[in-house]
Amino acid sequence: MKISNYVLVFLLTINSLFVVAQEQKMSESEITSFKQSVNAVAKKITTITTDFVQYKHMDFLSKDIETSGKMYFKEPNSLKWQYKKPYNYSIVFKNGKILIDDEGKKSTHDTGNSKIFGKINKLIVGSVSGNMFDDKEFTISFFKTKSNNITHLIPKDAALKKYIKQIELTFDNDDFTVIQVKLIESSDDYTRIVLKNKTLNAKIDDSIFNN
Amino acid sequence: MQKSTILFLITSFISTLFLVSCSSVNLVQDYKTVPIDKPVFQNTYFANPEIDYVYKANISVYDNELTGIFIAKKINETTHRVVFTTEFGNKLLDFEISETDFKINSIVEELNRKILINTLKNDFRLLLKNDFLVTEQYENTANRVYKNQDGKNDNYLFSSKTDNKLYKIAQASKTKEKINISFTSENNIFADKIIMQHYNLQLRIELNYFKQN
Repeated sequence: MKISNYVLVFLLTINSLFVVAQEQKMSESEITSFKQSVNAVAKKITTITTDFVQYKHMDFLSKDIETSGKMYFKEPNSLKWQYKKPYNYSIVFKNGKILIDDEGKKSTHDTGNSKIFGKINKLIVGSVSGNMFDDKEFTISFFKTKSNNITHLIPKDAALKKYIKQIELTFDNDDFTVIQVKLIESSDDYTRIVLKNKTLNAKIDDSIFNN
Repeated sequence: MQKSTILFLITSFISTLFLVSCSSVNLVQDYKTVPIDKPVFQNTYFANPEIDYVYKANISVYDNELTGIFIAKKINETTHRVVFTTEFGNKLLDFEISETDFKINSIVEELNRKILINTLKNDFRLLLKNDFLVTEQYENTANRVYKNQDGKNDNYLFSSKTDNKLYKIAQASKTKEKINISFTSENNIFADKIIMQHYNLQLRIELNYFKQN
């Protein structure tokens, strides 16, 4: 082995140690306290208003596809994703219905008969509010870094698993709300949604969800 | 029935037959045949392997609307990778296509229908095809049309004389027009807007180029 190879191995080892150090498994007591904090915050949430940037990563593309907009959530189950860039498209999930406004073209769909859509909807709401530590639906593991807590959720439902291999939620260490959602497909391509400028429990008019 | 009425009916019937049988010729009805000026016509709208071609897609199938994101990329000399996702980024359909091969990487159950897959395969092969061998050429004062033989069908490629931009591809059998793909392009590097309209089934695909930050 040449010296340069030794250097390379050394660097790789350091690098992998660094990665491990970055994302550590939580201890049992840390998990309990983390879950309690998240659930306490989630319970108090009545509304969420936040900006979001969505990055669609596919290995064969030279760069991620970026879209962005605003998200509104109101208890118990009204949710609106409003894409503003590069196009105007909004989708509302409300009372088992999906309301779409695509550049002014409106349509309504039922989610009632689509089990998979119901699950995806629940997953989206849960991801944003952080209220999704459901052992029946997911195999969950907990990690921490210096600045964030991260949970990995692996769906148990076979139908959902076909579309989503793993969900990674990153929580802010200060207020225990979700700041990033990463949905990883079985192909390892993923969608990463970064939430920023979040406001909790501000009044949201019901008309926002009329679409 | 009067003799003149019968004659009228017969004439109408014959002329209708004549129109139907000649409708493929109608695509270039106002054009005159001219000598071929190039053996191969190139569609460059999806030809650059450096570019991720990303479009907002609106698909109307009969009375159903489907929207999402359409992505195409040339991954080697012969092949394009094509992906349809929802606005959230969930993949609905992911395939690789060349003039001779077609491979599905993934497809959601709702779309996994043979007739739909075969239609999309034919449409996207036509849309993404780079080189068309020219068998005949026509022109009028404003446009040139290059005819390309494609199995049982013919492809007609319409380009404007002023800027040499490809603005339409029409695919027709001997008797009827099947698909019409129209392009709006500001720069000839990519198409800003593409509309794919079918005539034999109610399918329309509209693609709008996605200007990213």
